[in-house]
Amino acid sequence: MNRTVALGRKLIYLVVLVAMLLPLYLLGQPAGGGTDRGGTLAEMRVQYNIAESDLGEISPASETMKLASLGLRGVAATLLWNRSHDYKVMHEWDRLKATLNQIALLQPHFDKVWEFQAHNLAYNVSTEFDDYRQRYEMVREGTEYLTRGVRQNRNAPRLIWYTGWFYGAKMGMSDEKTQFRRLFSDDDLLHESLLKENIAVDSPEARGPLGKPDNWLVGRLWLNHGYDLVDSGVKIRRQTPLNFYETGPKWRIKHAEAIESEGILDASAQNAWSLASEDWTSFGNRSIPTTAPFTIKLGQLDELFRQKQERLESFRKVTGGAYDKAEKEIFDTLPEDIKTLVKKPASELSLDERVQREAWEKNLTPNLDQVVAQADPSARLQAIELVSEVKDIDERILKTTGYRNQINYPYWATLAQAEQEERTVQARRLIFEAEKANSEAELDTAIDLYEQAFVIWADIFDVYPILTIDDSAQDLFESIRRYMIAIDSEELPESFPLTTFVEMMGQDGNVDANAYEQVRLVQKEKAEQRRKELAEEERQREAEAKAAEMKAAQEKAEKEKAEKAAMEKAAAEKDAAEKAAKEKEMKAQADKDKAEKAKARREKKKADKKKADAEKAEKEKAEKAEADEPKADVDPSSPTDESGTEPSDSSDTSDK
Amino acid sequence: MSLQPDDFWSFSQWLLRPDAFLESALLQGIVLIVLAIVLGLIIGYIISSARYGPGEGFYAVARSTRDLLRFDLPGTSARRVMALARLAFKEAIRRKVLFVVGLFVVVLLLAGWYLNPESDDPARLYISFVLTATNYLILALALFISAFSLPADIKNRTIYTIVTKPVRATEIVLGRMIGFIGVGTLMLIPMGLASYVFVVRGLRHTHTQVTEAKVTDDGRVIGETDYVQFHKHSFSIDEDGVGLTDIVRGHRHVVRRENDGTFVIGPPTGALRARVPSYGEIEFLDRSGNVDAKGIDVGNEQLAGGYGSAGLSRLVGITKEARKIQHGYVEGGTLGAAIFTFSDVTPERYPNGLPIDISIRAYRSFKGDIEQVLQGSLTLKHPDKPIESVPIPFFVDEYDIDEKVLPLDIESSADNVATSTGSSPRGDDSAGNGEGSSLPTLNVFRDLVNEKGELQIILKCLNRSQYLGATKSSIYLRPNENSFAWNLTKAYASIWLQMSMVIAFGVMFSTFLSGPVAMVATAVCVLMGFSAEQVYDTRHYIDAGISRGGGPIESMVRILRQDAMTTELDVDTLAAKVIKTADAGIVYTLDAIATSLPNLPKMVGTAEYAASGIDIFGALLARHAFATVGYCVLAFLVSYFFLKSREIAA
Repeated sequence: MNRTVALGRKLIYLVVLVAMLLPLYLLGQPAGGGTDRGGTLAEMRVQYNIAESDLGEISPASETMKLASLGLRGVAATLLWNRSHDYKVMHEWDRLKATLNQIALLQPHFDKVWEFQAHNLAYNVSTEFDDYRQRYEMVREGTEYLTRGVRQNRNAPRLIWYTGWFYGAKMGMSDEKTQFRRLFSDDDLLHESLLKENIAVDSPEARGPLGKPDNWLVGRLWLNHGYDLVDSGVKIRRQTPLNFYETGPKWRIKHAEAIESEGILDASAQNAWSLASEDWTSFGNRSIPTTAPFTIKLGQLDELFRQKQERLESFRKVTGGAYDKAEKEIFDTLPEDIKTLVKKPASELSLDERVQREAWEKNLTPNLDQVVAQADPSARLQAIELVSEVKDIDERILKTTGYRNQINYPYWATLAQAEQEERTVQARRLIFEAEKANSEAELDTAIDLYEQAFVIWADIFDVYPILTIDDSAQDLFESIRRYMIAIDSEELPESFPLTTFVEMMGQDGNVDANAYEQVRLVQKEKAEQRRKELAEEERQREAEAKAAEMKAAQEKAEKEKAEKAAMEKAAAEKDAAEKAAKEKEMKAQADKDKAEKAKARREKKKADKKKADAEKAEKEKAEKAEADEPKADVDPSSPTDESGTEPSDSSDTSDK
Repeated sequence: MSLQPDDFWSFSQWLLRPDAFLESALLQGIVLIVLAIVLGLIIGYIISSARYGPGEGFYAVARSTRDLLRFDLPGTSARRVMALARLAFKEAIRRKVLFVVGLFVVVLLLAGWYLNPESDDPARLYISFVLTATNYLILALALFISAFSLPADIKNRTIYTIVTKPVRATEIVLGRMIGFIGVGTLMLIPMGLASYVFVVRGLRHTHTQVTEAKVTDDGRVIGETDYVQFHKHSFSIDEDGVGLTDIVRGHRHVVRRENDGTFVIGPPTGALRARVPSYGEIEFLDRSGNVDAKGIDVGNEQLAGGYGSAGLSRLVGITKEARKIQHGYVEGGTLGAAIFTFSDVTPERYPNGLPIDISIRAYRSFKGDIEQVLQGSLTLKHPDKPIESVPIPFFVDEYDIDEKVLPLDIESSADNVATSTGSSPRGDDSAGNGEGSSLPTLNVFRDLVNEKGELQIILKCLNRSQYLGATKSSIYLRPNENSFAWNLTKAYASIWLQMSMVIAFGVMFSTFLSGPVAMVATAVCVLMGFSAEQVYDTRHYIDAGISRGGGPIESMVRILRQDAMTTELDVDTLAAKVIKTADAGIVYTLDAIATSLPNLPKMVGTAEYAASGIDIFGALLARHAFATVGYCVLAFLVSYFFLKSREIAA
């Protein structure tokens, strides 16, 4: 009997075991393809995209390591984490890296780990080295660690963003930026491995003016990669969208700033700025999710104001006299001086008054709900709809303004606009050369160059007052000081073009809030005006260029006739032509970029227009004429045809 | 690697500690043995008096002690021990322990998956990996084979087939120990060979071509090799057609240029080494030239702890401070300096110059010239007289061993001529000319080394307000070099010693505990040995009132409450008091136990020497061997008595 009891008990255990296995089996059943979607677990895996193969590259080493830790993965990772810290304190860098490698194998999908430790290597460990090349190596290793994280976590835009951040900010903004940027652009091995990550370092998009990959532009490509990922539907986690989207366009601006500070102050800089401007504008047209339930576009603030005005107008019409009456009531309660201020036409207002009026503006609009209550009952329904629309627009305006201010959107827009002007680049070049001359103790040259530059800067500040309040203004102020030392004077001369600027910077270079507010107000209009001016100039230039081309073509034809007449002359002519072609060729090398092509074109045109530099203009004309000769017999591989297609190409770039 | 104070001790210093006998290993050993005897007698008496009554119990204990001394020890026969050892050996082999070697091979085969292929120092990574893997595998194995054998025999009563023979308990215990050690040795040998092959093979690579080469103005050829195994070298070839690459990832190649202009790149050299260092005494001077014990602390983060190396004196609370060597820094552009005094500098040891290895740290208090690494200088100085050489400048190569050879004949410093023309070592040559236009040449052995064979080398930093950091082990003379294979053998010898110790403990526990329990007990001893340092540190924190999470109970409470370790323990006062008192009790007990156990981490640490390319000092190995023998004797005695008591019981 004992035996049967024991047997019975065993059977019961068996049945219970099997019964417990059954739900497990059902839950965990794999998908069988087709309509068979497998058990719940398989379904959920698909639903949340968390199958190992969806998350990223599958690493057998990682899998076995997880198995080998016998379920104590967390414990093992914690111990290793501790140890990695100890190694860091002991300056055992190689061991630290080995430990980080193991942590990454254990927990490849914990993206904060990648981020933290990559930062650790690139920012904390790198500074421990004395040799800047070793520092660069460590930055590179940190960045590559992050890249590995990206490979293993396909759906982590934040990691991609961070990689882009490293390439840009770490390599381009640290104290060693000159060295880092140089080492990066020569780091062929890194470029190769970047190519494997589908970062097109060999494309013109990634290359700086010297034809080598530029860290800011490569960073931007990474960021763009992240933007594409998010556009394809992956969520941004652990980061505000504004911050996420801002960086890529910003890197273009930083790139332009960087090459200028390295002394590239010619058409390439101008071109870099115009591309930066394009990027910034398209950033303004991107829908950005906000904390509110709607998305906004940073560049659409004016449009929102226009819409609001439109609604208010219709509201005014619909409510009949009620709106005007309410408006008048408010007006009557205003203090006298404000009344006159409000009545005054905008063009007659002084700066202070404009700031004041701006502040009062929002109090002048009557409470729309009250107006509705007093309005004609038949129109009330429509009025209420309009009110709710206005309110909605108001909210959007509020958000957009707030977001714009967060990242100083208008400033960067203006900066990019100002910097792509030829005269800005020229002013910078003059300052750069003046500084160089100054440091080489060629004082007369330096003073001369400084003075030339200050005149241009004065013009620029006139149109772009906002530029007086930024870093480069600070640099300019330093230059003015050096200029004062050079002319050996405590006082600036009477006719000094930048007197206002110097006065403003007077107190430790700090600008008070009020002045900033004024500048901000005026800036928009001035920039707009300047834009129109430039567009007008451009049109004129184009017309003139056409005329010049025709003329040059004619001249050329005449010359050819003459060539036939005199062989020697022809030979000399050919030499010149070859030289021009060679120059063109060199340009074409850098010009594989469509954008660069646009730059070349602009450069040519502007040079054409430069009456002051008559000699240069002539030469350029000759070049142009030759280039535009449709059946040019000089060199079949000359980039003539390419420059012919420039306009359409550059518009392509702007679409991006 | 950075060495700690006790790493520099010679065998006799370690054994006797001339200035601080309380810290000596000998005293610790004696105390341990006396304690074991006394405790053994007391426990033995309690057990036997419980069994036979107080009077008879005393006689039983006395009888077995007498047996040991009169019969068993003198009567132990090597032949019988060997026979028993052979049995134990066979038994272990029959339990298929040799599979562990297979397991080790599998681990080696898969190692490539986990070892960072882009390591800057693959040799170090590979060597420390094979040694650590061997170490843990062998210790685990020793644990298993030693703990289960005797209990199984006793349980199966097969032990009676032995004890009924004229075999003594000493022979049984010794036979087991030797037999198991034999098995372990048998396994260590193939593991060592496999390790050697793994390391050598793993580091072997060939650069097949030169990617860039150009001839310089002075006829040398400089160029770069191709990119293999995550690195490439740049090289420079002299006019005679032979040159060297730079050191990357711890090795270099010889490059030859054939007559037809092709290049032949040799195999990697210099990755596997065993430098024999001769360390000096270090002393710092602060910025105004005063002697300073530790040098400047530049504020680098430091690891807590390090109270371990003071033996009994720490246990009884006489020595309290941490004894960890930290880098002391020297300020540049001031009188600050680090002075190394080397002894035994003789022409026999250094016939062709003074080979010196430098691994110092650089610290910048401001960025300065980014493209320029910091510069230091070395000056050779007579220890007693004011004679010194010109400073030899060098660029700091951080986190690498920078190998240099200082010349034996070196220009004298201008200061010497100015200050000591009269007593100048070669007064007639130099003082005669008066002007000091040409400085006299000094010979190291004749002019700079004193009668005791000592020489001073002064390290200075040449950059203003920048710092160079050094410890005693940062700069050393390298009179000799051993072969890597021999060094690896010594590292394996250290593992063998650890294994012997674990086997002895395992056999000891198995004489009175059942198999699994004996294994757990041995494992606890091993783990305690491994975590001894943490126990010491915890005790120190409790003594010194430093908030680092407290003892085991307090830590547990903190973990459960998710409190940080530096906050006040958030329970009511009475509970806190109880917890802290209990903790102190536990930690003190653990401290006592841990102090009495072998310091295994120190022994495992010998792997670090082999990995870092430094010869494992004979003294270090001798210390470990001596400690091992001591613990084995202790374990043997304990085993004997327990086995004897079981015999009586049976």
